[in-house]
Amino acid sequence: MRRLLMLVSTLILFASLLAAGSAPAGDAIESIQIHPPRLGSLVIGTSHGIVVTARTRSDFLMDKTGEVECRVINTAVAAIDDSGTVRALAEGETRLVVRYQDFSTSVAIKVVPAAFKSLSFKNDILPVLSRAGCNAGECHANASGQAGFKLSVFAFDKKSDFREIVKDARGRRVFPADPQRSLILLKPTQSIEHGGGKRFEKDSDFYRTLETWIRNGMAYENPEEPELVAIDAYPKEGRYAQGARQRLVVQASYSDGTVRDVTELSGFSSEAKEIATADASGRITLGRHSGEGTVVARYMGLVAVSLATIPPEVRIPEEFYHVLPIENDIDRLVYLRYRKLGILPSDLCDDSTFLRRATLDVVGALPTVDEALAFAADKDPEKRHKLIDHLLKDPRYADFWATKWGDLIRPNPARVGVKSVRVFDLWIRRSLRENKPYDQFVREIITAQGTTHRDGPSVLFRDRRKPEDVTTLISRIFLGVRMECAKCHHHPNEKWSQKDFYQLAAFFGEVGRKGKGISPPISGSTEFIFHKPGGKVKHPVSGEVMKPTPLAGEALDIEPGVDPREKLADWMADPDNPYFAPAIVNRIWSELMGRGIVDPVDDFRASNPPTNPELLEWISRDFIAHDYDLKHLIRRIVQSRTYQLSSEPGKTNIGDTRNFARSYRRRLRAEVLLDAVSDLTEVPEVFAGLPLGSRAIETWSNNIGSEFLDAFGRPDSSEDCTCDRDPSSSLVQALHLMNSDRIQSKIAHEKGRVARLVGDEDMSMKDIINEVYLAAYSRPPAPEELEIAAEILFDAPGLTRKTAAEDIMWALINSAEFVFNH
Amino acid sequence: MSSSYHNCNGVSRRDFIQLGLSSLVGLGMTDLMRLQAATPNAGKVKPGDMRCVIIWLDGGPSHYETFDPKPDAPSEIRGEFKPIKTNVPGIEYCEILPHLAKIADKSCVIRSICHNQNNHGAGNHYMMTGLPTPMPVNCGANASFHPSMGSVVSYFRGQPNKMPAYFALPKKARSGGPHMLGAEHAPFVIGGDPNREGFKVRDVVLPTGISQGRATTRRRLKDALDRMLRMNDKMAQDPAVDFDSYYEQGFDLISSREAQAAFDITLETDATRDKYGRNALAQRFLLARRLLEVGVPFINIYYGGWDHHVDIFKSLKNKKVPDLDQGLAAFISDLDDRGLLESTLVITMGEFGRTPKINERGGRDHWSSAMSVHIAGGGVPPGQVVGATDIKGYYASDNIYTPQDLVASVYAKMGIDPFQHLHTETGKPVQLVYDAKLIKELF
Repeated sequence: MRRLLMLVSTLILFASLLAAGSAPAGDAIESIQIHPPRLGSLVIGTSHGIVVTARTRSDFLMDKTGEVECRVINTAVAAIDDSGTVRALAEGETRLVVRYQDFSTSVAIKVVPAAFKSLSFKNDILPVLSRAGCNAGECHANASGQAGFKLSVFAFDKKSDFREIVKDARGRRVFPADPQRSLILLKPTQSIEHGGGKRFEKDSDFYRTLETWIRNGMAYENPEEPELVAIDAYPKEGRYAQGARQRLVVQASYSDGTVRDVTELSGFSSEAKEIATADASGRITLGRHSGEGTVVARYMGLVAVSLATIPPEVRIPEEFYHVLPIENDIDRLVYLRYRKLGILPSDLCDDSTFLRRATLDVVGALPTVDEALAFAADKDPEKRHKLIDHLLKDPRYADFWATKWGDLIRPNPARVGVKSVRVFDLWIRRSLRENKPYDQFVREIITAQGTTHRDGPSVLFRDRRKPEDVTTLISRIFLGVRMECAKCHHHPNEKWSQKDFYQLAAFFGEVGRKGKGISPPISGSTEFIFHKPGGKVKHPVSGEVMKPTPLAGEALDIEPGVDPREKLADWMADPDNPYFAPAIVNRIWSELMGRGIVDPVDDFRASNPPTNPELLEWISRDFIAHDYDLKHLIRRIVQSRTYQLSSEPGKTNIGDTRNFARSYRRRLRAEVLLDAVSDLTEVPEVFAGLPLGSRAIETWSNNIGSEFLDAFGRPDSSEDCTCDRDPSSSLVQALHLMNSDRIQSKIAHEKGRVARLVGDEDMSMKDIINEVYLAAYSRPPAPEELEIAAEILFDAPGLTRKTAAEDIMWALINSAEFVFNH
Repeated sequence: MSSSYHNCNGVSRRDFIQLGLSSLVGLGMTDLMRLQAATPNAGKVKPGDMRCVIIWLDGGPSHYETFDPKPDAPSEIRGEFKPIKTNVPGIEYCEILPHLAKIADKSCVIRSICHNQNNHGAGNHYMMTGLPTPMPVNCGANASFHPSMGSVVSYFRGQPNKMPAYFALPKKARSGGPHMLGAEHAPFVIGGDPNREGFKVRDVVLPTGISQGRATTRRRLKDALDRMLRMNDKMAQDPAVDFDSYYEQGFDLISSREAQAAFDITLETDATRDKYGRNALAQRFLLARRLLEVGVPFINIYYGGWDHHVDIFKSLKNKKVPDLDQGLAAFISDLDDRGLLESTLVITMGEFGRTPKINERGGRDHWSSAMSVHIAGGGVPPGQVVGATDIKGYYASDNIYTPQDLVASVYAKMGIDPFQHLHTETGKPVQLVYDAKLIKELF
């Protein structure tokens, strides 16, 4: 290993001479490519832009669109102008040929006649209004409209928008006799006063499109007009040099096989702005960091992404990757990403770090002094694997992971009643203790029946009383999809429509409730949850009764008498379900690794892709193949070398925060940190309503008072969904650890660790410090740490063994090595 | 094609970046300079000395039952209460605000702020940051897409006397966070009930029984023994680096004598404490006054529970309003007596007003088309009402202002150019306030 490291540093010195600001010198072009890959079918009279890229030997893309020669073979069918725009002239097929230096390539063009003559509101006008920002939430899509003119947010209600423009305001918005006098042309060009300012010029395609539509009679749609099916952004992915620029072209595909260039009508945004930013016309500018970023194009509720990678300046020879040890396929798949991005992982962490990390991650506690000593002394090469198995059998496993599930699904006791919350909590803990297969765990929640004072999962339906409210929760927690937006309108960043949302909600249309409902703030009574056939969920705009339909699936025919929730659970637990396993795998991965493969963990969408899709896929498959066994999943991850990396970076991976090339430090969760302080001081915390000696991970209600837990980010159960905990540090936390009377009294407690150690006359000061270190850090102090401590303590006024030991313990509690899992 | 994404004023964010203070933005600045030049008070308080206290009535207080009574509206709208005269002829408040009515000559009420974010999460965000949420959020959301006023002030003012610049009592408002400015500009929260016997601001003094000498030893030990490698390169996003900055701030705070005194409410006389009122809110006002006196520039007093969908009249009259009425009036008068009012903007508001029609449960629902904001001090010309709603109180109808107008005016008062850009870590420019005009009546 050390030889490898030396080799790396020599290499870095050497390679920095060859640093690649642009594509490296000598990196010759090997091919050129036209985007999009097909120009067909184009409708006569329409235009379509193209982008041409060159690909170099080391796989960089360069935008050469402005520098190529273009030629259409049959100029009767199509023509191309200097700006690289293809115009469809007549029905037929031909090819576009592009030359750059000695390279040439071509793409087929197919031109078809227009099936209908006039522009339509649906496919032509709404895109213009959207692009001009008219139906943004701040403008006419306000809840109450703007200046009496109201559009739906992001055009989710197309028919209502049509009525609003064509029929309302006594027809002043459109004036077919003299289109130019239409308000929808006068206002946005600011020919007359417009609160929203100038949206487009009189001399623009936007203006001409609107004008032509008004002149031609303002159709909502044409007979047999095709539907928009998909959009794609090209190039779909590429490796770019730092600071490079790349044009994008966005192509829309319709149900009749035609395509359109909608680049000018699309909106662009980027997720990782340090890697790539996109301007309004879809030009990407690459940043000055290496890494990967996604540019998102949006058009009429659809999204497409272009993935941009900037490799680091230094390239690392293949051999370096070949020698990296592989514990399981996780490592293999993670290494592929390192190679692609040109980074090397940190070293394996040492034994004490691994012991502390894994114990904190699997059971939420610090290793004891004895465990630390035993693990250090154990010569078995398999000792890390043995430890993982041992931890997974520890009873604290269930309690620790229950605190996490509590954040996700535990209702507020003030809303549903204390007893109900307790019953639900006990069910969660029991399920984890039994290691209930995850699909069964979720099925029992989703299909819950029974009384809320006995049957834990039924409490979810006491809390979430409407089908919509269950849907937002279960989609986020169990499917990794945020559908809150789609409840009210089309999700602006995703494909989910209001219909998708209510069709999913329809699975919860037949949940019956009997008994006394909620009556905050006590809600002491019990309720009976059961299957009550006949309930309906309706679309809030159309009023249509929704058929239970899985996400992106077909409506289900459910025989009468069957609870639709059973069918939903069947769909979820289908091994081919693309949402269910990845959602939990990603969540557990994030808990153990400090970041999701998709992050945020409950926000799977096309515009937020996984940083390593193959990895997510492999672990999900493995999880399903092992019968949704959560302990197996945790074991797999913790056994991987990737999990066991040091958190100290090397030269190539210091900037890595997404590809797991080093261990990411995480502040201990509130409950874990409090238990750690209690264990270190040997003074247990006392919680109201819990037996003496209970650990913080056994608290089951956020209303159990604790300043400590609140300071360290325990969620407030009165919030709607407490799905995200704030993992950051704060001044309040620092002050609490430093100055809290409670912590001080633990350190100085007469039955505490310090008192025990200093009362033992056989213990030297060195022995005492040694033990405090082992208890806090799972490692003995380094000789220089002992020296430093001795020197400072020697100076201290009024020094006693007791104050010395207390002050050392205080210093360790207030150190990053204690507060973080590292 | 020349169009690009534009905001409602027709200026794209890209234009802002490229043009800086041009066109519309320039107008804002010209307004600002003109207003400052024209204000007779200009120069009396330096903007850099201006402070701000926001009393945040979370849930959305009814404008009808506070500062905008509508006696001429039908009974299903005007509600159970009558207006009362204030000490300013022609200005009437709701009868349940007798104390504030007596200091109307020190106050200004804006009746014409309105917006379109009709749920708590979004309304909180809009009023606290000046920016509507860029995507819809839920009612319960703690949305953060933009720095809150307190965090912005903290960012520009830095720490006065080693104190945090931004305090929140007794908790952070939902959108009261720093967003991209970083956790160091999050509010310092003083929890607990200062009306309680033995209240102390916890954790800001050394633990009981620990001498200064031992504290020094401890700090030396910590500094020397906290040896985990720190990755100072921002790229690494090392959370231990933030952790260190909080310790530094914490050590500063506990070693500052002035700061320590400011936290000690028991140094006030019983008479003063009685005048404010012996309740949690009133004593928070008093604690806020002590913090203002040591130079803390921004304090947010959270006073929630205004979401009166049910039984609004009883709840307001018996629960929410009396403490606010007495405490706020005492606070404003006390600041005035001490010569602090001129340099302190005291703003009382929530996220929106409430529906005109009383619902079948005797409550009023969310209504962002009209709301009232109460302002005192800070050089705001007192004894005036700005704007109006229609006769039934449905909509702001006269001299309409937006939340961003208010936020921009607060920044301008405090000497912070509201139209300047800050940059995110990745270099993306963000304008403090977009699309705003200053509320000229406040200058």
